[in-house]
Amino acid sequence: MFGEISALIVLLPVLAFVLTLFLGKKLPSGGAYLPIAAIAGSFIISLGTFLEIYPDGMVQQSWPWFAGMNIGILIDPLAVVMLMMVSFVSLLIHIYAVGYMAHDPAKPRYFAETSLFTAAMLSVVLSDNILQFFISWELVGLCSFLLIGFWYHKPSAAAAAKKAFLVTRVGDVLFLAGIVLLYVNISEIITTRAFSIEPGNFILQFSTMFEAAKLIDPTQLTLITLLFFGGAVGKSGQFPLHGWLPDAMEGPTTVSALIHAATMVTAGVYLVARTFPMFVATPDTISPGVPDALLIVAYVGGFTALFAATMGLVMNDIKRVLAYSTVSQLGYMMLALGTAGAVLGAKAVGISMFHLIAHAFFKALLFLCAGSVIHAVGTNDIREMGGLFGKMKITAITMLIAALALAGIGFPFAGLGMPIMNIGTAGFFSKDAIIEGALEYGEVKGDMIPYGMAILAALLTSIYIFRLWFMTFTGKPRSERHAHESPGVMTRPLMILAIFALLFGFSQLGFYGYVEKNFELMNVEIAVHEGEAFHPSPIIVMLPVIVGVLGILISYAIYNRRMLDMSKLVSSGNPIYKLLLNRYYEPKLGADIIGVKLTHGVVAQSGEFIDRKIIDGLVIDNIIGKTVFMLGEIVRKLQTGVVQNYASVTLLGLGLLIILLKIKFGGI
Amino acid sequence: MAALISLMILISLIGAIITFLTRTREQARAVALLASGISFVISLILFLRFDSSIPTIQFAESYPWIVSLGISLKFGVDGIGMPLVLLSNIVIPLTVIFAWGETKQANQFYGLILLELVGVLGVFTSLDFFVFYIFWEIVLIPMYFLISIWGGPRKDYSAIKFFIYTHVASLVMLLAIFSLYFNAWQISGTPNFDMFYLLKNYSVIESSMLKDAIFLALLFGFLVKMPAVPFHTWLPDAHVEAPTAGSVILAALLLKMGGYGLFRVILPLLPFSGSPGELVIVMAIIGVVSILYGTFLALAQRDLKKMVAYSSISHMGYVTLGAAAIVPLSISGAMYQQFSHGLITCVLFMSCGVIQHSAGTRIIGDLGGIAKYMPKLTFLMLAGFLASLGLPGMSGFIAEFLVLVNSYFTLPNFVILALFGIVFTAGYHLWAMQRAVFGTYNEKLGHIHDGANYEMFSMAVIILFVIYFGLNPNPVLTMMTTNSEQLYTVLKGVVIP
Repeated sequence: MFGEISALIVLLPVLAFVLTLFLGKKLPSGGAYLPIAAIAGSFIISLGTFLEIYPDGMVQQSWPWFAGMNIGILIDPLAVVMLMMVSFVSLLIHIYAVGYMAHDPAKPRYFAETSLFTAAMLSVVLSDNILQFFISWELVGLCSFLLIGFWYHKPSAAAAAKKAFLVTRVGDVLFLAGIVLLYVNISEIITTRAFSIEPGNFILQFSTMFEAAKLIDPTQLTLITLLFFGGAVGKSGQFPLHGWLPDAMEGPTTVSALIHAATMVTAGVYLVARTFPMFVATPDTISPGVPDALLIVAYVGGFTALFAATMGLVMNDIKRVLAYSTVSQLGYMMLALGTAGAVLGAKAVGISMFHLIAHAFFKALLFLCAGSVIHAVGTNDIREMGGLFGKMKITAITMLIAALALAGIGFPFAGLGMPIMNIGTAGFFSKDAIIEGALEYGEVKGDMIPYGMAILAALLTSIYIFRLWFMTFTGKPRSERHAHESPGVMTRPLMILAIFALLFGFSQLGFYGYVEKNFELMNVEIAVHEGEAFHPSPIIVMLPVIVGVLGILISYAIYNRRMLDMSKLVSSGNPIYKLLLNRYYEPKLGADIIGVKLTHGVVAQSGEFIDRKIIDGLVIDNIIGKTVFMLGEIVRKLQTGVVQNYASVTLLGLGLLIILLKIKFGGI
Repeated sequence: MAALISLMILISLIGAIITFLTRTREQARAVALLASGISFVISLILFLRFDSSIPTIQFAESYPWIVSLGISLKFGVDGIGMPLVLLSNIVIPLTVIFAWGETKQANQFYGLILLELVGVLGVFTSLDFFVFYIFWEIVLIPMYFLISIWGGPRKDYSAIKFFIYTHVASLVMLLAIFSLYFNAWQISGTPNFDMFYLLKNYSVIESSMLKDAIFLALLFGFLVKMPAVPFHTWLPDAHVEAPTAGSVILAALLLKMGGYGLFRVILPLLPFSGSPGELVIVMAIIGVVSILYGTFLALAQRDLKKMVAYSSISHMGYVTLGAAAIVPLSISGAMYQQFSHGLITCVLFMSCGVIQHSAGTRIIGDLGGIAKYMPKLTFLMLAGFLASLGLPGMSGFIAEFLVLVNSYFTLPNFVILALFGIVFTAGYHLWAMQRAVFGTYNEKLGHIHDGANYEMFSMAVIILFVIYFGLNPNPVLTMMTTNSEQLYTVLKGVVIP
């Protein structure tokens, strides 16, 4: 029943978008209740669909669109867990926003745009073909652009919106190029009759793509997957296209929570997970036994996880710390797909998606807590906060839970061979599995670099998030402002998310089992490079938790007990600190040098010069124009001004024409 | 119900004459709207009755005119012409509504707009090459006056430049048409200006030099009109000085005549020209250079309207590229780009017009933050800009996607180059929006007001069309594809080196 109406998952928020946009001004709370109701509907249908198709069903619907392509719905395990997460988190954030945006006059626009965003994001998730996926992906990017620039009268917000759109656009063009290449390759194997599309199926459907992937030229396949990954790098803020995400914090905090933490930025990871069978099928030319595409995914992800975490250490804007944290955690998800994918096959999708969803809960929670704090103290700068624990207990405790989840705190009883289950936060279960996967990859393939990056990043993660927590909630208040706890409409979503951040981890095994089956259900075989049974030593098993706790202790010592004087390190004289604070000079390189100086300055201006001075000025006006005028002067001298002369010349001409025609055709 | 096409053209013509004769601007605009509205209704009837499954000419009409020279009034549409007839009839009434507030010599102003409709409808439906040429020239004259009477400070220079440049191109084209005509006459012994007849007889021309000369002359005529780099420099000047209504018609309809010529004339001749493979490469180079060059030039502009003018050059490059790739769906994509760009560019030029009118300037650096006082315009302008940068869900994406994907089969390297342009296309659109519309309000602009209701109405209707055809391209795409597949039956022999 729910499966049949699953199109409503997308259509309800679209309807809410239209209604809120045009009627929002006349409704209470800027029409917020329309999107809330619609998204609640989407969540219920998603949940109902899940209950219907669990454990091994799918929903597939498809309609022809244009030029051999289609619009369709594919709800498989991968999609349904994502649908539930997106609609649920979006619902909570919409409720929270009723309080957070209460005083903003542009509420109707806000709720219309977030509603459209939710629709587009849900459409990304349930697309059954790569074109619809791309289209929805672009619409998601549009909403992100609109919402980052929500306060468009602020120049910094307008600039950040533009940067976000353009940087992700670089990735999108790569993605589009990948689609072009895929389409052409599939068409070619159809022409050579090596492959055919069954009636009712369409060329860019995922099922067709996976079938065709086995027959496509391997080099082309690597290229296609890497182009797709280029899109994912842009959307998920991976190095080197990460710079837009921290700037995107110019938008309202609810937007950061919804789009730039929980949902949109994970679309890149979801894309790789969605097309995972193609990534696995790429040849292993770089490292034996590791598909090239996965190797690159692993390294880009691992590097980003570490790289972004270093910048998270020094940021003073509470939201920017979280933004770098998001970039870093997305790196973990990519790392999981790459490393675990090479040794465990389809299990990697489960591991990565599990972290994706756990992260959505605790990162949305972190942002909403940050929003609650900002709402209370009126600043983003953690140096001006402090001592808020007593004043905002709910925010402080829920944020502590989220921070523990991000740091991956728990205890691996079962991992150490004890007859009790593992106990810990959601992040403990999800991140441990990633690090373990990277370790297994390292052992089996003899490449410990990704594992090393993952462990180091875990230490830094724990340090930066507790630096943030200690500076915000403990110590002496550093500003005059009288802070108070946020209203219930804001704190209740925090509590719900905190419960998920605490307890979601326990669904780990069930989740893996369910999502792993995804590609079996689609009849796609994924070669698993089975290694020998893998039993790491206890210290290795404990290592992620050890570095997590160590990070908390370091932060406690520095930012709570003030046992270390940081003023020497944190000064402009320290080149490393300066490098980190300036974000490795990426904004300067990207916006100033590539954007303004090179593109606007050199290329566009020289084009303008060529156009106006050479093509138009020299060739048209001077050479051609002057020649014509010169000829005109000569002709003018022949014009005597006497009418008889004109008449005789005209007659002469006509006579000549007639004679010519007669000669040519005979007798007219 | 025969003679619908001539009825449509006749009503526009009579409407134009009556509009010239009216005494008040209220009468003038009412007549103009009525006439173009009726024309729209007729085109809608044609469109709905059109059979998309056959590539032949439909609603054909033929009346003898100058029998001794073989000239007759022949009209009809197929999948190439029909969408453009519809486009013309969408654009003109909405332009009249948009320009509802015109006060200067209103009867002439609206009359000239209707004459433009007569001209473009004639071009898109004439099947007699001579009559085609007459309509082709008719289009020039009202545009010349629209620029030179209602234009900006340098209107005389721009109007003359526009006229001379495109007129020279027309004359070159005329020479080629006459060559085709006399050649066919020589072979059959009877004069006949029928377009398909002349095109069919091109293949039997013996001299390969003459063949190439005819082909290049026709190609030149059409490329100037589109315009393609390097024959484009008349366009920015014309747009900068033209009144908004003039720019809208120029960009939305007049440029499409060039593209129409590619499909109607150039592609059927291509396989029989001396060196089709090389000509394809030449066209592809012109297409890709137009795309990239237009993009970078748009990036350099400080005048919003000039930027939009260069964006037209860039977008029309997709038409040339798609046509050059000679794959059925790339040709369909190129046709769709014509249709789509015709709609989208209206919104862009209308935005420039509203801003100029309200703020007194179009220089991007002198504007800033106008969204504060112009929320409706901002909404519609942003929608137009997003459509123009190829956002999926809008018609431009369908067109560019089809062109890029299908051109890759025959011209992969050109497609890769064109893809580069996409980021920069987004760049200049967003850069302009950010600086001109968003950010802090520039207090120097004084008090500005939002666009008038009739202006917003026109823009909103076009945006709805853009979204509709972005979600459901089939009504026009199917008929285009029927005809592009027919073109392909002769084109498939062409080998691209």
